[in-house]
Amino acid sequence: MRKVWLIVKREYLTRVKTKAFVISTLIVPVVGIGFVLLIAFLVSHAPQQNLRLVIVDEAGGLAAPVKQNLEATLANGKREFTVTDTVDRPVSPDAVELDLRNRINANALDAYLVISPELAQPVELHTKNPGNFTLLEPLTQALNEAVIGARLNARGIHLADVEEISRGVNLRVIKVSQSGESVEKGQTIAIAITLVVLLYTSLLMYGIITMRSVLEEKTTRTMEVLISSVRPFQLLAGKILGVAGAAFTQFFIWVISLGLFASYGAVMAALLNPSSSFPSMHVPLSLVIWVVCFFLGGYFLYSTMFAAIGSACSNEQDAHQLQWLAMTPLIFTMVIYSVILNDPTSTASVVLSEIPFFAPVLMPLRISLQMPPVPQIILSLVLLLGTILGTIWASAKVYRIGVLMYGKRPTLPELLRWLRYS
Amino acid sequence: MDAISLENVTKSYDGVDAVRHVNLRVRQGTILGLLGPNGAGKTSTIRMVMNILVPDEGSIRVFDRPVSDETRQSIGYLPEDRGLYPRMQVRSVIVFLAALRGMPEAEADRRARQWLDRLELGDWAQKKVEELSKGMQQKVQFISAVLHQPPLVILDEPFSGLDPVNAATVQDIMLEMRDQGSTVVLSTHRMEQVEKMCDSICLIDKGRNVLDGDLRAIKQSYGKNTVQIEFTGSDSFLSHPAVASVNRLGLGAEAKLKVGADPQQLLRAAVESGAEITRFALLEPSLNDIFIEKTGHA
Repeated sequence: MRKVWLIVKREYLTRVKTKAFVISTLIVPVVGIGFVLLIAFLVSHAPQQNLRLVIVDEAGGLAAPVKQNLEATLANGKREFTVTDTVDRPVSPDAVELDLRNRINANALDAYLVISPELAQPVELHTKNPGNFTLLEPLTQALNEAVIGARLNARGIHLADVEEISRGVNLRVIKVSQSGESVEKGQTIAIAITLVVLLYTSLLMYGIITMRSVLEEKTTRTMEVLISSVRPFQLLAGKILGVAGAAFTQFFIWVISLGLFASYGAVMAALLNPSSSFPSMHVPLSLVIWVVCFFLGGYFLYSTMFAAIGSACSNEQDAHQLQWLAMTPLIFTMVIYSVILNDPTSTASVVLSEIPFFAPVLMPLRISLQMPPVPQIILSLVLLLGTILGTIWASAKVYRIGVLMYGKRPTLPELLRWLRYS
Repeated sequence: MDAISLENVTKSYDGVDAVRHVNLRVRQGTILGLLGPNGAGKTSTIRMVMNILVPDEGSIRVFDRPVSDETRQSIGYLPEDRGLYPRMQVRSVIVFLAALRGMPEAEADRRARQWLDRLELGDWAQKKVEELSKGMQQKVQFISAVLHQPPLVILDEPFSGLDPVNAATVQDIMLEMRDQGSTVVLSTHRMEQVEKMCDSICLIDKGRNVLDGDLRAIKQSYGKNTVQIEFTGSDSFLSHPAVASVNRLGLGAEAKLKVGADPQQLLRAAVESGAEITRFALLEPSLNDIFIEKTGHA
């Protein structure tokens, strides 16, 4: 046990002490938080777009409603436009426009609209800054409402009545679970897919890190020295636990910092914009516990497989060619997970989530969508545990032979033959 | 008790015999030199003793127990392929490997300092392994093979890449270890080193054990068949029928005699030929000569 501990300690410390580890551990939350802060800053400090506008209404009767529509205050209490003046049916439009252009060039005005007598003609927006696309949408809307309102009025219909009559209905989805009901705004799917991607990428990433770490001893030829001090199984166990320690440290730091920031961000968002209804991403504790169980199981399953592959190869290139053995079942979970997303209770979903190589990703997905019967979860965990013991046994055999073999990359039949050696 | 005993050990790779029916005993508390041309099977033999390779036939015992993962824990081993964690500090590597052998870390650290100083690596203790030269890395690895005072040390080519001063230090350390009761097995090509320090030798050629036993006894069994003569005057006596071969030297010659020939005949012939003899000595054959004779090549 002491030897395993020494290997774990060395593996952990040499990993955690590297610059790459420190930088990647810090950079992910820093960049993530920095990015969010930057967006928040840009949004809250966006220049006030209080555009000074003059409406030249050659058609007549439209300037007032357009002005009214444009000057409606936004939800955040700001105004996008200030209509400084309206010109109804000018006698000499050219003179008026010349004057307005001079005012724009003198920075006394930002833009003016010209509504032509024929409404079939486009309305013209004259501005110094035609690149400001964000203004076009509210302008068009204000114009349309005014024009449509005028046409409806001509037929004796009130715009408000039309809006009332044509208002659609909204569909509200409510998730029923044992902990009660919660309004569904897509967060169940969001959590489920985040979970799948997170589990898949971390299992793959840490598996490959373990594989590299085993390979390190072979490429640096440290193995023969180590093997005269420890048993191969102790080395294998030490490596997997050491990498796990480093991986979990990093993961923990990320989760904590992102969690802190998310709660801080939610508070900030609520302060900035009290009216926004942010869907509450409530994650039940039971889900967290099950996810941790399956993640640990998946971690040990896949990292032992990757470790065996690393031990069977002499260099990175060979390992890349053999790593599909462990990657295939993981990739398959990404191909198949939509089956469970569509119907977590179907026979296919139940069977898939019980298969040990898929369970680490697919069972947490099922749990997040709809709590399966607990015996099914337990069965899945038991099968997973059994498979882990099996892969540890097989990996230890491959490892014991592989760690000291140099040269040609073994073929799959050769690997299987190694399993039969004592 | 024998530190190592091999009985009829055979190992082949893909039908090619690397080691064929080798028998060998290494007495406890002695230094054995494992000699042989390149590719003779020395490293394969060592790896089988380390239980890294498994023999196809025969049995290997270390301290009277069949080789296993356990027996190799009692062996200090310097493998042919050198390797240490390149990005670890020199002293941490040594302490780590010693701790794996069961030594308390504080004790390992204390000894690591002593050993590093002795092998003139004191200034490098805090450096990373990858910053060291090949020869220095080899010394670090030698330290980690012997630091925990194992009862048996197996060193594959311990002198390769070492300068004469360091080679002499390593040799002194091996002799000290033997005097303290450890058994040392080393493979090497350096005959002069073997002659200076080994108690016994094992000469392997093409996988076979062609000669083994006590070094002094082996040399004696070859008899004093070499004559070193220093002289002035005629050298016609060197074509005497008792002479097998002649090696001319600056002041005279070294003549190897035919089997059963009497050196006195040659001396008489030399005197009669009128040459003035200043030195006439009977020598044992050098290990180099024995090596060449036994293997047919250097």
